[in-house]
Amino acid sequence: MIASFFGSIPAMILLTGILVGVSGALLGSFLVLRGNAMLTDAISHSIVFGIIVVWLLTGQMSGPVQVLGAALTGVLTVVLSELLARSRLVKMDAAIGLVFPALFAAGVLLISIYARDVHIDVETVLLGEIGFVWLNTVMLWGQQVPIAVATLGAVLVVNLAFVLVLWKELKLTTFDPGLAAALGFLPGVLHYAVLTLTSVTAVAAFDAVGAILFIAFVIVPPATAYLLTRRLWGVVVLAVALSVAACVAGYVLALRWNVSIAGMMASMTGVWFALALLFAPGHGLVAQALGQRSKRLDHDCRALVAHLFTHQDTPAMAEENTLRALVDHLRWPEPRARAAILRAHDRDLIERRAGLLTLRPKGNAEAEAIFGRIEPER
Amino acid sequence: MSALADLLSSGIVRTVLIGAAMLGAISGMLGAFAVLRRQSLLGDALSHAALPGVCLGFIIAGTRDLGSILVGAFITGALAALIMMLIVRRTTLKTDAALGIVLSVFFAVGVVLLSWVQDQGGAASAGLASFLFGQAAAILRSDLWIMGGVGLVALALVLALWKEFKLVSFDADFARAQGFPVTLLEATLTVMVALSIVVGLQLVGVVLMVALLIAPAAAARQWATTLGPMVALSAAIGAASGASGALVSATTRGLATGPVVVLIATAAVVISLLIAPQRGLLWQALAARRARARISDGRVLTTLQGLAAAHHDASYPAERGMLETALGARAPTARIAALERRGLIHPVTHPPETTPHWELTEAGHAEAASLSGKPAPAQDGGTQ
Amino acid sequence: MRDDSLHEPGQALHIEDITVSYGANPALWDIDLDIPPGVMCAIVGPNGAGKSTLIKTALGLVRPVAGHVRFLGRPVAQMRGKIGYVPQRHSVDWDFPTTVRDVVEMGLYQQLGWFRRPGAQAHARALEALAEVGMQDYAGRQISQLSGGQQQRVFIARALVQDAPILILDEPLAGVDAATEAVIIALLQRLRDAGRTIIVVHHDLTTVQSYFDWLVMLNVRIIAQGPMAEVYTPKNLRAAYGRQLAMIATPREESTL
Repeated sequence: MIASFFGSIPAMILLTGILVGVSGALLGSFLVLRGNAMLTDAISHSIVFGIIVVWLLTGQMSGPVQVLGAALTGVLTVVLSELLARSRLVKMDAAIGLVFPALFAAGVLLISIYARDVHIDVETVLLGEIGFVWLNTVMLWGQQVPIAVATLGAVLVVNLAFVLVLWKELKLTTFDPGLAAALGFLPGVLHYAVLTLTSVTAVAAFDAVGAILFIAFVIVPPATAYLLTRRLWGVVVLAVALSVAACVAGYVLALRWNVSIAGMMASMTGVWFALALLFAPGHGLVAQALGQRSKRLDHDCRALVAHLFTHQDTPAMAEENTLRALVDHLRWPEPRARAAILRAHDRDLIERRAGLLTLRPKGNAEAEAIFGRIEPER
Repeated sequence: MSALADLLSSGIVRTVLIGAAMLGAISGMLGAFAVLRRQSLLGDALSHAALPGVCLGFIIAGTRDLGSILVGAFITGALAALIMMLIVRRTTLKTDAALGIVLSVFFAVGVVLLSWVQDQGGAASAGLASFLFGQAAAILRSDLWIMGGVGLVALALVLALWKEFKLVSFDADFARAQGFPVTLLEATLTVMVALSIVVGLQLVGVVLMVALLIAPAAAARQWATTLGPMVALSAAIGAASGASGALVSATTRGLATGPVVVLIATAAVVISLLIAPQRGLLWQALAARRARARISDGRVLTTLQGLAAAHHDASYPAERGMLETALGARAPTARIAALERRGLIHPVTHPPETTPHWELTEAGHAEAASLSGKPAPAQDGGTQ
Repeated sequence: MRDDSLHEPGQALHIEDITVSYGANPALWDIDLDIPPGVMCAIVGPNGAGKSTLIKTALGLVRPVAGHVRFLGRPVAQMRGKIGYVPQRHSVDWDFPTTVRDVVEMGLYQQLGWFRRPGAQAHARALEALAEVGMQDYAGRQISQLSGGQQQRVFIARALVQDAPILILDEPLAGVDAATEAVIIALLQRLRDAGRTIIVVHHDLTTVQSYFDWLVMLNVRIIAQGPMAEVYTPKNLRAAYGRQLAMIATPREESTL
């Protein structure tokens, strides 16, 4: 049964995608929360340079040498960008946008010159060809396993171990780098470790999904998860789940429509994001639009209570605590003013006494709560 | 040389060069504003997001028609920009995450469309892939008109609204307080950046466009002190990078234009970062060295003056050891030699001692006096 | 009252029932404020009190939930050019490629109108404004080469060049050396003596009594406002700053804080 699993092309393709997705989601959860999304973009591009240089030097397209090359290239990209920004001659965003294209261009050029007819093709490096992962296999524990699967599997194990063992440190350095540094957790080192692992994963993934589609797997599922939960473990778990779902759905659709499998998988991560953006309970755009009116009304109601409170028992009360005042002084159109008054009335906050709007006990309490919240403690 | 002349006599090559220069100039000009407004990475996102639009334009037109491709690229680019702003404004996600999402998802959709087109076959679909890395050689004579048009519109807008763009880029709050329609102006600038990206895609492709947007501007910034010269220089560097890159790529088999242009532009940045006056790193290093030398000179002179004053002898021969003790460091031989050359100190012998001695000349005394504010001791021991 | 009608023309700045909130958090609640013309007014309050927000709302940079604003009786849209605004120094990137004179000329852009460039007259007026703040020798200097105090003076010159009757400055003395502070205050007092209205968001309680003659104490709502002597009292300070008050120059009374 295991043999047939590893022998099944669809299963292998799917597995490759899932391995990329899960690794990406694991690392991406920290990268996105730390604000390093575009740095990931930079690394994924510059990896191309590392790949070709290692290949030129050693002839190896995969294996530990490539992993080392990836790690170095990733670090190089980040270090060069930060150095450039630190010179104060160029801002950080421009620095990033200068370093990675230069490395990428150099990589592409080298490929064009030296690897024209060999098995490195620029488009493949960029876009991957997940459909062919099953071609190169290696013997592993008595099974013929695609190299890509083996490599990605190993990388996933390393990533998982890293995240689990250093969970507390990662959590702290992501949310409070200052405190982490003060406690001696070396957030800088941890930051580089995550980026290095990302580079390594990018290289492992490139011939499956390509350098650029990898970015989608790293950034989009964690961002989607962040729209749905605030807990870190929730983000990680949800991101992994969304990644897997995107791979499965993407594979099915890609076969149906006869389009790029990796492209479809990556696109599906976007579809999940769009759905979360629109329909996330409470914070999604739909919820915001629906809640907008009700929130506005509540807001206006509180502003009304505050206004009445400020002017109550003052000489100006007769003028201020009226509908007219809401229109003239607060500059609310009459419908809006009436709606606010009605709402406050419904909530038993105000009443009309002798032609003036006055606060009821509940309204008074609410006003005190409003101002009490701002008043400094005694 | 004659090879070059032969090359230039070819109409096709001329077209390619003119087109590449135009595209480089447009990107350079508008890239200056993008860089100053910290929109470099937005440019990256927009260029990747243009891929599905390029494919759609191709699909709808059925062939490589620059007009439809540009319109398609612009539409998806604009859509991407709007979605990015929506994400930033309506969720807790930050700008970098929004850019990354938009960039990778739109690009993924583009890859899907690209694979669909290529699956349909047809020789023209190869032209589509050229938008990944740019293929200046594909520029047609007819394309030049579109590019020229876009360039002229951009130039006209920039010239007409020059002070408004400058103000909004520098201090948007102040601009708003002055009553300028800041949102409209900022949107116009962003749209123009998007336009330059869309137009520049054919030269360097979606992946590398960000460099064509940023590099000429980053290079120009090192030389220019005001906005006008910066924008002009940026356009010039962009044009030069574009044209030379296109020339190299067109004359070498199998070399895409994008990488060559980007490497040339990056080289311009590196050179500028090193040797530009004031800001250049080499320049700064030289200036720092000169400053250190001046300070060292001053310390030697004032030390010698102090020794002379202590001994009430303006031509007191200070021995090296004494100088070193007073300085608290080894005698700086290079600086001492320089001071000798400038005629401020004078080596003397002081037998029977064999170690070097120096005395201050009159000029040296004057210089030391101006540095330390103390008057020079008189020749015979009194004060002047 | 119509939106563009004259309302409270006797006040340099008239704010009524302004409420501003960012999302669910209130920044300003029901602000009623009147600043008469010809005073040098300080707006003080603890961090997060909404001082900058108040200024920005008055200038129309922030949309209030409720209320209205009038400058000399007119809405702000009609008063562009009559109000000189000096934003906080750090709101701008000082590495921008431009010169000192260039920045000052930006104060005239609104008067020039669309499409026109600053000419010889604008250049001259910019130099005059720079002279008023003692920066005329720096006209051609790159702004990246300026010190904090010099940057602040350039910003003020930019507001001066408009020749506006009302000047609003947001923390102009923050991070500025003592010499520059003296120059700026002397200049502002001179302008006040000449009849202009100066409104300053001020961060330093120790100097507020000596520099200003009108005081507004703000902490999301107005705690107190009026002539300095009347308003700067221990009771009001306590109400505004609460426990944050450690060692402040106490008003002449004996009460300690």
